[in-house]
Amino acid sequence: MPPVLEVKDLTVRFNGSLALDHVSFTIEKEAIIAVIGPNGSGKTTLLKAILGLIPYEGEIRLFSLPVRQVLAQVGYMPQRFAFDSNFPLTVEEFINLTCRTPEKLPVHGALDEVGMNEFKGKLIGELSGGQLQRVLLAHALLHHPRLLFLDEATSGIDIEGQGDFYSVIQHLNREHGVTVMMVSHEISMVYKFTDRIICLNRDLVSHGETRTALTAEVLKKLYGENADFKVHGHEAAQAGHGNHHG
Amino acid sequence: MGITMAELLQLPFMQRALLAGLVLGLLLSYLGIFVTLRKMAFFSDGIAHAALAGAAIGLLTRFSPLLSALAFSMLLAALVYWLEKKSPLSSDSIIGIMFTSGMALGVILISLRPGYQPELIGYLFGNILAIRTQDLALIVVFGASILAFIASHKRKLTLLALDREMACMAGINPDLYELLLYIMLACSLVLGIRVLGVVLVSAILIIPVSTARLFSRSFKALTWWTVLIAEFTVLAGLLLSYILDLPAGAVIVLTGSAIFSLAFVASAWGKRSRQQSKTEL
Repeated sequence: MPPVLEVKDLTVRFNGSLALDHVSFTIEKEAIIAVIGPNGSGKTTLLKAILGLIPYEGEIRLFSLPVRQVLAQVGYMPQRFAFDSNFPLTVEEFINLTCRTPEKLPVHGALDEVGMNEFKGKLIGELSGGQLQRVLLAHALLHHPRLLFLDEATSGIDIEGQGDFYSVIQHLNREHGVTVMMVSHEISMVYKFTDRIICLNRDLVSHGETRTALTAEVLKKLYGENADFKVHGHEAAQAGHGNHHG
Repeated sequence: MGITMAELLQLPFMQRALLAGLVLGLLLSYLGIFVTLRKMAFFSDGIAHAALAGAAIGLLTRFSPLLSALAFSMLLAALVYWLEKKSPLSSDSIIGIMFTSGMALGVILISLRPGYQPELIGYLFGNILAIRTQDLALIVVFGASILAFIASHKRKLTLLALDREMACMAGINPDLYELLLYIMLACSLVLGIRVLGVVLVSAILIIPVSTARLFSRSFKALTWWTVLIAEFTVLAGLLLSYILDLPAGAVIVLTGSAIFSLAFVASAWGKRSRQQSKTEL
């Protein structure tokens, strides 16, 4: 079986300054992968480069193929909308617009999967933060992707909502074999729910299995000596103390 | 009034004006949805003003001013697009430079022709009642082609206007569709100059969609209301201008503004009533 994702010597520059510096890693099999790091460490840049949304140097292959060739098998949930949320657009219209094949639209199925079918006639601008996140997830799941990218999907959602969200992600991975790569600041959730981790600070600080790669030393390297974490050896950071927004 | 409405509609110049007005109302207001979504109002205003240079070239060379303005503005739109991608300057600065340079070039070129220049006033403020058959043919052919393209690529253009990244992820080529939108918009604005003039043409792009946004509860409703409001504005404005013997372009714009003002007051009043009923509950 080909590796799910191969990134070799990935370098991204914005106006001459380095946003990512020769990052290389391989994801061999289906997993939930977290990308962590402080603000400006290149987490979102990594996702956008993999998706071909920004120019980069290096090589990226999904399922051993160039990204453009497998884009239809990829779902992406952005951190936020770029457009004016007061624009009159219903949930159903939004899902319809983002569909590659509108004539074979499984819009009800996608909204059902995230429990949002009853909101399909509601305006996007009238949704709460959590409801909007679920609509974005429905959009990302629309074409039954094999690989799902989530950019800070749970920002602005309470702890309970985060737990529910991660449970959905875990279900997608375990039951449907979807590989999920997610940018997150929620260290405790990352420790609890993800299989692998990529720690970035413009270059690759650490990567591997979450339980072994996410150590106190690595966190200090990423967030500094004064960062407030409770990571004891291989023990998980406790919920409520393990969140970092630095 | 010495003439009835039925007789008025029998007059060839009025038939041409009505047909041109309705085609342009539909075209410009539909494009206005994308213009407001992408916050391109300044681009529209800039291209319309700079098109004066194209019309002046046509007048000076005795070639069709409308065709020459079409070619000039489409080239200018492509140049603005290219500079936005390649230069470190902001879009506003690039458009500002093009806008003023095009207008200045137009004024100088027109001043090279001796004597009074009635065409200049026509291009600045529009003269829908003076539309000739060949102008009408151009408006209908270009307008129908652009509308057909927009209708068949509506989903792609809308998604691109909403969110460029999502458009990329949906397999849309954003650069191609952005360039096409710029060129179609430039072309439509120049066609609209015959009705409203360089100074007023942006109004029909912006006012109907802004009015429709005040009460639309879906994108589909917004589209229908925008087009209906634009067509009503053009029709009512044109007839009012004839009855009151006032410049058609200006009356059309003020009719649109009056409808917007009424909708704004009604929408604010409706919101207030809803809030009051919620408080009482």
